[in-house]
Amino acid sequence: MSWQAKPRLTATPVSDARPKPAPSAVAATSANVRVSNGLKEFLWLLSDSKQGRILDLGQVSQATLTFFIEKGFRVSTEDLLRAWKEFLVAEEENFRKAPVGNQAAEVSPTLFADKFLETAIQYPAEHFHGVLAWDIFDYLDAQLLPKVMDRLYAILQPGGAVLSLFHSRTPERFSRYRISDPQTIELLPASTLSVHARVFQNREILDIFGKFRSSKTFVGRDQVREGLFLK
Amino acid sequence: MWNKSAEAKPSSQPNETAVPVIPAPAADTQPASSILVPSSAPQNSVQVNPITPSSTSVTTIAAGLKISGDISGTTDLYIDGETQGKVRLPNARVTVGPNGRVQADIEAREIMIEGTVLGNLKAGERLHLGTASRVQGSILTPRFAIEDGARLRGKVEMVRTGNSRLNSSPVTAVEVEKAKAMSASGKDE
Repeated sequence: MSWQAKPRLTATPVSDARPKPAPSAVAATSANVRVSNGLKEFLWLLSDSKQGRILDLGQVSQATLTFFIEKGFRVSTEDLLRAWKEFLVAEEENFRKAPVGNQAAEVSPTLFADKFLETAIQYPAEHFHGVLAWDIFDYLDAQLLPKVMDRLYAILQPGGAVLSLFHSRTPERFSRYRISDPQTIELLPASTLSVHARVFQNREILDIFGKFRSSKTFVGRDQVREGLFLK
Repeated sequence: MWNKSAEAKPSSQPNETAVPVIPAPAADTQPASSILVPSSAPQNSVQVNPITPSSTSVTTIAAGLKISGDISGTTDLYIDGETQGKVRLPNARVTVGPNGRVQADIEAREIMIEGTVLGNLKAGERLHLGTASRVQGSILTPRFAIEDGARLRGKVEMVRTGNSRLNSSPVTAVEVEKAKAMSASGKDE
């Protein structure tokens, strides 16, 4: 599977009048704003969907919600990193309170991941047309990541897309994201919610999205890779 | 088409640039306000001051109080305690204060959240999620404002005033032109 420019799987005839977005020459206008060709492509893919459904896995943002709702989408939000952090805090508290030798208090990262997903990302199969994952995959535990990928794959419609960001080096600060316009993502500095777990190599990214049928990446001047993955 | 819709895109702030102020339950400025029953009350529906509705009256469920049961009525409601039961005030404002915790659906003309809500929110006019708010449930409103820091887990849908869902029945320019043409020609489908 090659990393760049795979065949598009959506039913888009060549003669489609819609102009395909061209990669922008501008990389970033400031430290907190980045031009996003991945977002542009993501929106282009979703433009086929009437009343499409979007899942935003980042912090809820009025700008992002309004952006999609005004275009006729239905948006669901679930701040996955915050939910994961709160889950771990609660589990730690339970563990602390549990009597010594309590078998029920047994812990393992895999067990945690399974338990977390009993309440997180609970949606019907093939429900969403698009998922905004931002950079959460960089922050998820190794045991949780593949299970989250499986869940995202299950809730995406065939032809649905995941937009994700991957840092090429450990970011200097933790940021949340919101959409400013169809080709601009704004970075919002935030208090550290989770420790940056790893920097993925391109091959590793392909592996974790192994079930997906198509992928495309865009690299910005800030060396953040934007990945667009189609089911 | 994506670019076409961008031209016609209205402001990204849907008529909601001003952040509404969450009213503090000051007793001396609210002559008609009343404190509801404590948590030991029977778990029946609670009617909120239905006799003397007033635009200035606010009923307060203070911090430390816990109410189980549905709440309905016509006056504004400030919840800084805990409620378990549907809150239905379609012609009034419901405010959930920073200490407030609601485990049920809320339906009101205006909904202001600074606390925690586990339930669906349906606002007739507008909805505001403050920076410390935590909401788990669906939102249905014609206008909304969400401050940075608010936590929302659920679906957001916008409705036109009059309750026709924007997302469910988007009226395109083509449809409008078609309707005009049909109206002019006297046709009816």
